[in-house]
Amino acid sequence: MTLKKVLYAAAGIGALMAASPANADEIVLRALMEDVPETQIIEAMLPDFEKETGIKVEFEKIGYGDMHDKLVSQLVSPQSYYNLLEVDFLWAGEFPAAGWLADLKPFVEKSNYDLSPFIPSTLDLLGRTEDSLQILPMYNYSMGLLYRKDLLEDPKLKEAFKAATGKELAVPTTLADYVEISKFMKANADVAGAAMQGQRGDPNSMEFSNYLFSAGGSYLGDGKKVTLNSPEGKVAIDLYVDNIKNGAQQGALSATLDDTLRLMCSGKAFSMVTYWWMLPQVDNAEKCPEVAGKVALSVMPGGHGESGGWGWGIPKNVTPEEQEAAWKFIQWVQSRDVSVARALQGHAPVRADVYTDAKVLEKYPYYKTAQDVVATGKSFPIFAYSAQYEDVLGTSLSQAGGGEVTTDAALEAAHKGLEELLAK
Amino acid sequence: MTGWKRFAEREIRIGWGFAAPGMLLLAIVMGFPLLYACLLSVSSYTLMKPAILPIVGVDNFATMMANERFWNATWLTVKYSVVTVAVQFVVGLGIALMLNRVVRTKPIYFAILTIPMAMSPVSVALIWRMLLQPNLGIINHLMETIGLPRFDWLGSPNLALWTMAFIDVWQQMSFVILILAAGLASLPREPYEAAEVDGARPLQQFWFLTLPMLRPVAAITVIIQLINEFRTYDLPYVLTKGGPGTATEVLSFFAYRQAFLGLSINEGAAAAFVLLVIVLAMTVVFFAMLEKRAKG
Repeated sequence: MTLKKVLYAAAGIGALMAASPANADEIVLRALMEDVPETQIIEAMLPDFEKETGIKVEFEKIGYGDMHDKLVSQLVSPQSYYNLLEVDFLWAGEFPAAGWLADLKPFVEKSNYDLSPFIPSTLDLLGRTEDSLQILPMYNYSMGLLYRKDLLEDPKLKEAFKAATGKELAVPTTLADYVEISKFMKANADVAGAAMQGQRGDPNSMEFSNYLFSAGGSYLGDGKKVTLNSPEGKVAIDLYVDNIKNGAQQGALSATLDDTLRLMCSGKAFSMVTYWWMLPQVDNAEKCPEVAGKVALSVMPGGHGESGGWGWGIPKNVTPEEQEAAWKFIQWVQSRDVSVARALQGHAPVRADVYTDAKVLEKYPYYKTAQDVVATGKSFPIFAYSAQYEDVLGTSLSQAGGGEVTTDAALEAAHKGLEELLAK
Repeated sequence: MTGWKRFAEREIRIGWGFAAPGMLLLAIVMGFPLLYACLLSVSSYTLMKPAILPIVGVDNFATMMANERFWNATWLTVKYSVVTVAVQFVVGLGIALMLNRVVRTKPIYFAILTIPMAMSPVSVALIWRMLLQPNLGIINHLMETIGLPRFDWLGSPNLALWTMAFIDVWQQMSFVILILAAGLASLPREPYEAAEVDGARPLQQFWFLTLPMLRPVAAITVIIQLINEFRTYDLPYVLTKGGPGTATEVLSFFAYRQAFLGLSINEGAAAAFVLLVIVLAMTVVFFAMLEKRAKG
């Protein structure tokens, strides 16, 4: 075959390929996903979706810390490699503000998708407004209190606590009570009173938010006025630092979620403020034989904890066909049937009808409490610089915890930092 | 024009011709990113407003200079780099001198020494993070067994930077040892034989022969390591995220923080450029000093 013939053949094949219409069946959905159980649960169900729609879905799983930068580099490019997005609530201010996401509202209206089963706080958390819906909830990671029932019920500890404080040793109902019990356990029960994730950044700012909301404080008031430096905020930071210094495990200032989970699992901690779906991880006879059957979940003392969640989004910089296919997937994966099937494997639902499903409650009775944790959760400030604010707040908390600055100075710096970033 | 001159000019043209592809490649893979980063550092480019224009001149640098945390990061970087390189060099030279006397088992030592060097810094950091975990880590457990107190290696503002420096030294020292050992092996034997005849003691031989003859290799080693240490990013990222407080927030981590958490790529580029200028200045000064001493 001469070179000329080869070139003609190549040109012919190229022309044929270019002339073929874009077929939805040929679209491959690609998503960058956090490597957590939720992702694995969905991944195992992907063949069902492919069978139903003919659309192939590929998950690229990586750690949380690397996700943001990898996504941003695609979203600022002319054409994103990822045509389906998993979006953390902390980016729910940044991504829409930068104009990277397609509005899902027209998709919802066109397909008559029913949003009413979604717990309203999960939609609000991801920035839903009357005019637009940029992100649809995927799963939530609201935070509550995990504590050791056996230690609370221990007669000797009960007696000692009564003698020391004049109070009954019971599930705490206020933040001050919780910190008091935590310190008591550290001093008397040969365990850390609280397994705390005090590493600067996401770990400690998420943890502190629970203390803030428990104490009745808030980040923002009416008209987005910063309200962090308030009497409630002062109580929260004082109790947080007190617990870091006198109730928590050694090394709390460098600890992450994994460290606290290991500590709780080894039976060396009384409590941890964490994501509610950590309960089945800890209450697992195979993984954590020391504490399985001894751990319970409650809403944060004070009635409110930190609310968090992931959602689905569709990038603007992909083709309309890809956007349609992505919406088809989102509808499917968040449908009631699929959500129930996911919940039976440990999914943290965002739909109220899943929490009340008989099969789910039979398998996981604590989902009743979990629903309260989700419904009462309050949000970290969501705006374009949320991730940076985590670092600003985290640095102040870490400095206060390490004794480098006073709690007053740390609170003032965190307050000022939020004002500056909101004005940026 | 003489025949010789014509020949020389043709040689030069041919030389340029051979060098051109390599230089073009260098310009593409090194020059372009460097220029682009330079442009970003004087631009208004942020991830919220991804546009180079308007050019803001030195505003990003001024913003950096006005930031207290930038100076903290710079000071930490200098302190960290000088200490880690000094320890690596002193201990590394000692080990290299010892290895220089080993004959039969040298390959085994070298094979062992390359293990930390071959590991990625992220893996090294993760392994050490587990070992140093205050409650469940083996190091505190062993310390407690022999009656020593437990330490909060990465959570104490006073200890965290030095713990990080120790891990860095553990990983990087192999490189220093190998380079210095290679340098020692290449030194001529004759001056030592003459010194022995003159009755020079081992310490005198080391001071007056080994050190001066090893100077070029040592200088290169120190420079390479200083550049490496100034760019340290992986260790604080994995071990501490810059904390506790700002105790381990070195300059490259600060630049990352500005660029990707603050979404200000322009300010991140400015911080990275400051880092580049410091490293360049150090390199120039160091080589100038060496040259001066060699001439003197």
